[in-house]
Amino acid sequence: MSIIDYDPSMLMAILPELLLLGLAMVVLAADVIWRPSQRRFLAWLTAGGMTAILVLALIFSRPDASQGLILGGMLRHDWMAFAFKLLFLFAGAVTALISLDFPGVGERGEYFALLAVATLGMSLMASAADLIMLYLAIETTSIPLYILAGFIKVDDKSTESGIKYFLFGAMASTVMLYGFSLIFGFAGETNLYALAGKLAAGQVSPWVIIGAAVLVLVGLAFKISAVPFHFWAPDVYEGAPTPITAFVSTASKAAGFAVLLRVMLAVFPQVEAEWTAIVAAMAVATMTLGNLIALAQKNIKRLLAYSSIAHAGYAMIGLVAISQLGSASVLFYLIAYVVTNLAAFGVVVLFARAAGSDEIADYAGLSRRSPGLALALMVAILSLAGMPPLAGFVAKVYVFAAAVQTGLVWLAFVGVLNSIIGLYYYLVVLKVVYLYRSEDEDKPIAVPRGAALGLAVCLAAILIIGVLSGPWLDWSLGASAALF
Amino acid sequence: MIPLSWYLILAAAIFCIGVYGVLARRNAVAILMSIELMLNAVNINLVAFWRYMSPGVISGQAFAVMVFAVAASEAAVGLALIISIYRRRFTVAAEEIDMLKW
Amino acid sequence: MTLVQILFLLFGLVTLLASLMVVTSPKLVHAAFWLILALAGVAALFILLEATFLAVVQVVVYIGAIAILIIFAVMLTRRVMHDTGPQVNRSWWVALLVSLVLFGGLVLMLAQVPALAGTPAPLMVDQETLLEDLGRALVDADRYVLPFELASVLLMASMIGAIFVARPPSGSEERSGER
Repeated sequence: MSIIDYDPSMLMAILPELLLLGLAMVVLAADVIWRPSQRRFLAWLTAGGMTAILVLALIFSRPDASQGLILGGMLRHDWMAFAFKLLFLFAGAVTALISLDFPGVGERGEYFALLAVATLGMSLMASAADLIMLYLAIETTSIPLYILAGFIKVDDKSTESGIKYFLFGAMASTVMLYGFSLIFGFAGETNLYALAGKLAAGQVSPWVIIGAAVLVLVGLAFKISAVPFHFWAPDVYEGAPTPITAFVSTASKAAGFAVLLRVMLAVFPQVEAEWTAIVAAMAVATMTLGNLIALAQKNIKRLLAYSSIAHAGYAMIGLVAISQLGSASVLFYLIAYVVTNLAAFGVVVLFARAAGSDEIADYAGLSRRSPGLALALMVAILSLAGMPPLAGFVAKVYVFAAAVQTGLVWLAFVGVLNSIIGLYYYLVVLKVVYLYRSEDEDKPIAVPRGAALGLAVCLAAILIIGVLSGPWLDWSLGASAALF
Repeated sequence: MIPLSWYLILAAAIFCIGVYGVLARRNAVAILMSIELMLNAVNINLVAFWRYMSPGVISGQAFAVMVFAVAASEAAVGLALIISIYRRRFTVAAEEIDMLKW
Repeated sequence: MTLVQILFLLFGLVTLLASLMVVTSPKLVHAAFWLILALAGVAALFILLEATFLAVVQVVVYIGAIAILIIFAVMLTRRVMHDTGPQVNRSWWVALLVSLVLFGGLVLMLAQVPALAGTPAPLMVDQETLLEDLGRALVDADRYVLPFELASVLLMASMIGAIFVARPPSGSEERSGER
């Protein structure tokens, strides 16, 4: 097919990606044209651009009824992918807002351009339906994130975080690529939705498929920081600029889950029993280890890192359930988790800028220094802990319900036990914030308007998703129907 | 002619040598070289599978071309990060990069 | 044993030995030169596999660009060359174990596939047709145009990022760096 008889309606499906690329270019141009004093508006430009793209995507690039493969089978334009795209755009916009005036990144055009490119990669990860496309999308997400983690060149911790993320990430994605090469080889096909049929028709030994599935799982487990491929997360989260930590721990993790859902369900139905057993074991290890190590943390970024490892474990329960409710609960869980964790990290960013510290002990007296920030932190932490009526509670309920529905009562039970362990360290943070006193109590914390807007949106989302969960669940169920 | 399994086993061996290098070497540049070895093993797999299993479709070669592009960008970004950390600390040994601990 | 098999064994052994030297050589510059030999060996294997275009790309991109870039990085960070010390970390034996187990697993897995012993049919098309097909596939909207364009976005983003990260910090960055 030449470019002349090309159907432009297909371009509408990738409109968000095209606009994100345009946004990256505009940001780079503005960085050159604007005077240094104007460059702080780059954050507003990026956040506004991403919000506009979100709205345009909602209007123009909704999937049609067929939800079929487009552009030569490279992408699948279905509701699941679309829901994830909106989530990534939201996370990108909030990340840009909390980067406003952040020292070392807030005035750099490169930073916001790479943020836009990483978001572009994520939204292609969510819709990729071909091994080649998927690998490139994963790398287009990861490589800008490696740079963003090491972005503050004058900060030893940041450069170190960047190189660690790069070395571990490049290795994990290469292991996954090796798995892809085996799958491609034995099926002679790269499209995810044709692979399972070809593998079955070619009578490939199940051992080979299991082996390839394990290799692919290694790469994806790294992206979602599941045990035993979680060890990079605390180091990288602590060292990276905090807005990037927020982005990596939310959007990048959600993108990993988007790929996990699609690939595992579409490519490996023949070895379903085996891979679900592996993922279930990983889910248990991830929840338990994440929560137990989080108990000992003194640094809020490391605490949130281990908590985010534990949350990956909860979300994996929904994947193991292999049902429409299961994948819907994963999507719902990720939406709730992304808005909650962004709010938590937003508070960490603002607090660190005023107090210059990420130690939990220094959060003493926060309720007097800035009641608003303390309230935001409380809502976020309670939602992470899974307290009703917040988003985190409903999300956990659906994930456990999906497990029970498929007869995995023991897995749901482990999840509930873990939520109780988690409650402890979350409440410790709140105790420090609300009950402890400190000498700095008379020093108020300034909250810039941009960051306040980002936080307010996240808090509203936590409440709305928690209280009015019905429509969101229906929407998730509709989206996850596309995977079966 | 050569059986396909020879290629696949050679690729597996190079891949495992690369894995050993990534896990064992202390120097970040050496780890990067080991990652390049792993990527080459993947490319041997891809091209061998293309030739033996599906020479009629071009996807194996197209996949390999994409791997080249990713390898190039990974090398550029990795070396830039290495130079950045070296400028700060005059060390590129991965084990000495240990400010962040559990 | 035919001539092609002997050639394969020759190139395969060279590649394998060079790879081993890359991960064991104590001097980084030597490791980088061994890497070039390993990459050249892979290029020779591509020729045996009748993927001549990829062999050329392997030489131009891998040896000509990536390996040279690595040698530059080795030289730019050469101060570490002098501090010798062990080139492997304390848990190198774990690494050895992991890679041996992985290799064993992969070989066992590949042994499950009977079709692998067969030899391929001769290539139906000539190299020009093949190259033309590859070129068209990469810009065909019904095949790989999207990954191809995405690869260009990726290369652009890496370039922007690499230039930024490798450049010495400017004065304003030094000031704003203390968090």
